[in-house]
Amino acid sequence: MNWVAVALTEDVPPGVVIPSRIEDTDLAIWCTPSGRYHAWSDRCPHRGMRLSHGFVRGDTLACIYHGWQYNEEGACDYIPAHPKLTPPDTICVPTYTCTEAGGVIWVSLNKTDSALPALGGRKPVRSLPINLSANDLAAHFGAEDYTTIAVVSDHDVLIAVQPCTDNACMAHVLASPDKDRTTVSRWLEDLRATLEGMPS
Amino acid sequence: MTATIDNHWYPVAMISGIQAPRETLLLGKKITVGRERGTCWVKDASGNALPTVERFGHLWTSPGQPNRDLFTIPEADSPGRRLVDVGSVKVKCSPLRAVENFLDIAHFPFVHTDILGAEPHTEVDRYDVKIREEVDEVWATKVKFFQPQAAKSAEGGITTEYMYRVPAPTCSVLYKTCPPRPGEWDVITLFVQPLTDEWCEVWPWMALYDDDSTMSEMVSFQQLIFMQDRSILENQLPRKLPLDPGMEVPTQADMTSVAYRRWLKKIGYTYGAQLVAA
Repeated sequence: MNWVAVALTEDVPPGVVIPSRIEDTDLAIWCTPSGRYHAWSDRCPHRGMRLSHGFVRGDTLACIYHGWQYNEEGACDYIPAHPKLTPPDTICVPTYTCTEAGGVIWVSLNKTDSALPALGGRKPVRSLPINLSANDLAAHFGAEDYTTIAVVSDHDVLIAVQPCTDNACMAHVLASPDKDRTTVSRWLEDLRATLEGMPS
Repeated sequence: MTATIDNHWYPVAMISGIQAPRETLLLGKKITVGRERGTCWVKDASGNALPTVERFGHLWTSPGQPNRDLFTIPEADSPGRRLVDVGSVKVKCSPLRAVENFLDIAHFPFVHTDILGAEPHTEVDRYDVKIREEVDEVWATKVKFFQPQAAKSAEGGITTEYMYRVPAPTCSVLYKTCPPRPGEWDVITLFVQPLTDEWCEVWPWMALYDDDSTMSEMVSFQQLIFMQDRSILENQLPRKLPLDPGMEVPTQADMTSVAYRRWLKKIGYTYGAQLVAA
């Protein structure tokens, strides 16, 4: 698996952490005050608390349970219960390759040399969860690869699909800057209603 | 299920709350709890009566054959205390995770902010922990922590002293400095009913010296605290408590939790425990 879209940058402003997920891997996606993005395992090594419930303080992500702070490399550099202690190097959170391009936060769970998907100048519109596997969503558009799906439609929309579970995915939708965002957004909701079999 | 787990006493109801017969789960099995002519009863799924004890405002039962009496809390019997039935909270986590969180003070400034703790008062000094072999209980003593509002009855911040006791695998008793009566201990307990190995019902109970607060104020205070704890407990991975070292990293502040995990392993109490690192 290569680059997967996990969020739109506008949904993760500086100083914010959110939960995300790629298949079996729970992620904490966070942004430093100066705008650098990180994708980490969503688990504090101390007591297993989800780091996505934590808080950004300076250039660190802190766990909400005991306030342990992790620097941008994922290494623990402060334990509030023991302020004078220098935490051992062994206390660290698994980190993943993460970058921002075109208003989308991309993550690769493995090291990768591959290029980021081409977005053709389209701009992010919104992210929408869909109760359908990523592959089923791709199949609906006749695509083999779910990473990005270019849809030939009235709206010239591109969907970056994030596989979440066996029956749920997140659709990150991009459209040309000249398209009306509200129209594209409604089209996406109608699409979801159709795919999930709900009356729209 | 091994006898090691079945032969313990478990809380299954608040006595004052028992009305019509109520179905619940104990260790993943259906039981029914009721009361007739003032006497509480518990039946298993086949309708067999299970042993019962009424103590600390709660009804206790066991699916096995307990080889010792339910523990006692002699301090709670001293006159002048208000006995507070707090009610129950269901939590999607291992019963052991719920107990371990109760034993932890380092989370106070972050989870119970401005109530049981506040930055920059985050340091946890060394305290004493031991497994008291003669009673087979875990004890932590000389635990001290600065608290902005230690209890409903506290006015302003004080350094609170704690003692923690684990008298049964899913129960803990906390003795803490009593703001209106220096020299006495307030008693706050956490009785945990294991519904399944990843789902529990928590019955806090208190025996406090507090002549001013109303009963509902004391209940609300404790429920607020536990709601804050629940937001943690339902977001720990895995839901079960890892007993083997390696999966989680303790520090000196976690000596009570380390002793609790070691004791569970020693007595073979594995319900709600994760034994192999995932």
